Amino acid sequence: MGQAGLSPSARWLRRLAFLLIALLGLLLRLPQLYARPMHTDEAVNAYIVGQLLAGQKYTYDAQDRHGPALAALALPLARLQGAKTFAELTEAELRRTPVVAGTGTILLFGAAAEIFGFVPCVIAALLFAGGPLSVYYDRYFIHESMFVALTFGMILSGWHACTRRSAKLAVLAAACAALMLACKETAVLHFAALASATFLYWLWNLRRRSLRSLWRLKTLLTAVVVFLLVSLVLLTWFGTNWSALVALRNAGPNFVARAGGQGHAQPFWYYSHLLAGGRSGALICALACIGVVLAVRKREASPFALLAYYAIFVFVLYSAIPYKTPWLALNFWMPIALFVGLAGASLWRVPVKHPAVRVVLRSTCLGVAIVAAVLIAHDTRQCVFMHPADEDNPYAYAHTSEDLLGLPTELAQMARQEGLASPRIAVIAADPWPLPWYLRPYAQVGYWQPGQPVGQADFYITSTDAANQYADQLKNFHADFFGERPGVLILLWSSATQ
Amino acid sequence: MLAMLLVAAPAFAQNQEVLKTKLPTPLFVGTPVPLNVPNLEPPMRGKRPDFYVPAGTRNLALNKKVTSSDNNPDVGSLDMIVDGDKDGNEGSWVELGPGKQWVEIDLARRASIYAVIVWHFHSQPRVYRDVVVQVSDDPSFRSGVTTIFNNDFHNELGLGAGHDLNYIETYQGKLIDSKGAAGRYVRLYSNGNTSNKLNNYIEVEVWGKPA
Repeated sequence: MGQAGLSPSARWLRRLAFLLIALLGLLLRLPQLYARPMHTDEAVNAYIVGQLLAGQKYTYDAQDRHGPALAALALPLARLQGAKTFAELTEAELRRTPVVAGTGTILLFGAAAEIFGFVPCVIAALLFAGGPLSVYYDRYFIHESMFVALTFGMILSGWHACTRRSAKLAVLAAACAALMLACKETAVLHFAALASATFLYWLWNLRRRSLRSLWRLKTLLTAVVVFLLVSLVLLTWFGTNWSALVALRNAGPNFVARAGGQGHAQPFWYYSHLLAGGRSGALICALACIGVVLAVRKREASPFALLAYYAIFVFVLYSAIPYKTPWLALNFWMPIALFVGLAGASLWRVPVKHPAVRVVLRSTCLGVAIVAAVLIAHDTRQCVFMHPADEDNPYAYAHTSEDLLGLPTELAQMARQEGLASPRIAVIAADPWPLPWYLRPYAQVGYWQPGQPVGQADFYITSTDAANQYADQLKNFHADFFGERPGVLILLWSSATQ
Repeated sequence: MLAMLLVAAPAFAQNQEVLKTKLPTPLFVGTPVPLNVPNLEPPMRGKRPDFYVPAGTRNLALNKKVTSSDNNPDVGSLDMIVDGDKDGNEGSWVELGPGKQWVEIDLARRASIYAVIVWHFHSQPRVYRDVVVQVSDDPSFRSGVTTIFNNDFHNELGLGAGHDLNYIETYQGKLIDSKGAAGRYVRLYSNGNTSNKLNNYIEVEVWGKPA
């Protein structure tokens, strides 16, 4: 399974294979990044990057913002691309951040080959590079792609730290864990799952081997210190916001309440249904299940066994929590890809004495691989490129409607007609997102909650329930509907004299 | 009671009756829409007020021939537009391609049309853009065209800017008072909706009497 006996040229060829797969992944992730409307969560993250571009510090807010890691990566990337202000930012500039993170995950499969084997990792890398779910969310400016890359990095460096008893790798694992926490608070679920999986693995597969053979206390303490330091530095935004620690302490009750659903409650089987959906989902899930069975059927010290325990714990945890969104399923895609790789490699190597049977078996394997590739290509094309914001797309959850793209266009057109260089725009809605993203070119935009007194404006944008309270102000305005999200409409009010 | 009598009295005097169409099951609780705001259609609270038509008026569109600018709909078939099924669930609607599209109903003979009721989609709140409804004796709608509804405020369709109001689709459909416009063909335009660029039709009823 390992690469210990390989010649240097063979090692380089293997690295080249993963580089080529990463390039394929990059080519699938880069096109048309501008095309899909900005989801509300993407707009919030974009606004945070805009604040950082303006020289403001990151302020951790457990309510809706998550940690600063995504913004910390997006900021230099945005600057590299020439963005100087929020108004100048584009969808493509921001979405290149998860593209980089997703491509990094594909490369990590190359680093994982030493642990999980070359062939399973090649298959896994290919699946991650081209799979509909991974391609879709690696083009989505939210935390998940980065979080998955860090999780993978933590698992790989943590495994090596234990097997090689390496302090450097333990520090790397701790840094990855801290970055996970600074990315999303759901990191604690993964820490819990990994701790439970490790305990089970030690109990069952390692047969309670002496802990001293796995790690040294000094290394462990160093890792803890690194974890705390990196977490502190990032969450306090390099020591400029110590109140973030209080906010983090108070985040617990907020996330417990959110876990209850808060409008996003889904049944236990939601993720199973999502992963098995499309034309390729059932086949991928079936192969992954075969991989899991192969990993746990023998009581041996296999990294796949540890991964299987972790994957099962994480999957059950996420499924048991009523609050569910489809992008969280990206957390399962990394282990799924590896178990599909294990299943593929194992089926290919099934020991068969009779040559004819072997030919039939391997032909079947090739046939399944070709069918899977065709089905995956179909699903990826449909979900990522053909219908990225469609209501029927299982990954486009509460997604901003394409119709909303017409609002800034119409607004600009009417402002030109009225000769308004800097129109005053009043937005009255309980939840105005993602409008701040679409109204970012305008300097005079105000946001009000329904019921608050609103000043005079050239244009009003209201939720359907808010306008009633402003009948006097709107009496000379014409209303145009726009779809914000499925089932959610907003109104653009412009001068009725146009 | 007195008000009802006052409203109904002229109708009875002209030998009129209430238009009685069968409504489908509502699939969503109404989106709150501002009340008492000019330039915006007020929401329908409860059942639509009675609409009076001359006695003997019936739905002339039922099972008639339907043509369209998109004769190969993405979902469903054109005959579903006049099959009497107004259910809002999948399987009851026709989905035409994106952008500007029309459907045309051939009533088989000239008729005086008193009302057109259209159900585009009613399983979620949506607004269909640039809804225009016309009546003509010319199947190509080049001559003798009477426009009975037009909310194409920006003249996107090129049929002239309209002044009718946008409205949110509901299970009650949109009733258009066609004031006895005469013609054999009824054409309905739309230009996508607030959820996507596609054009849906569940049912169209044309209430009238042969001319």
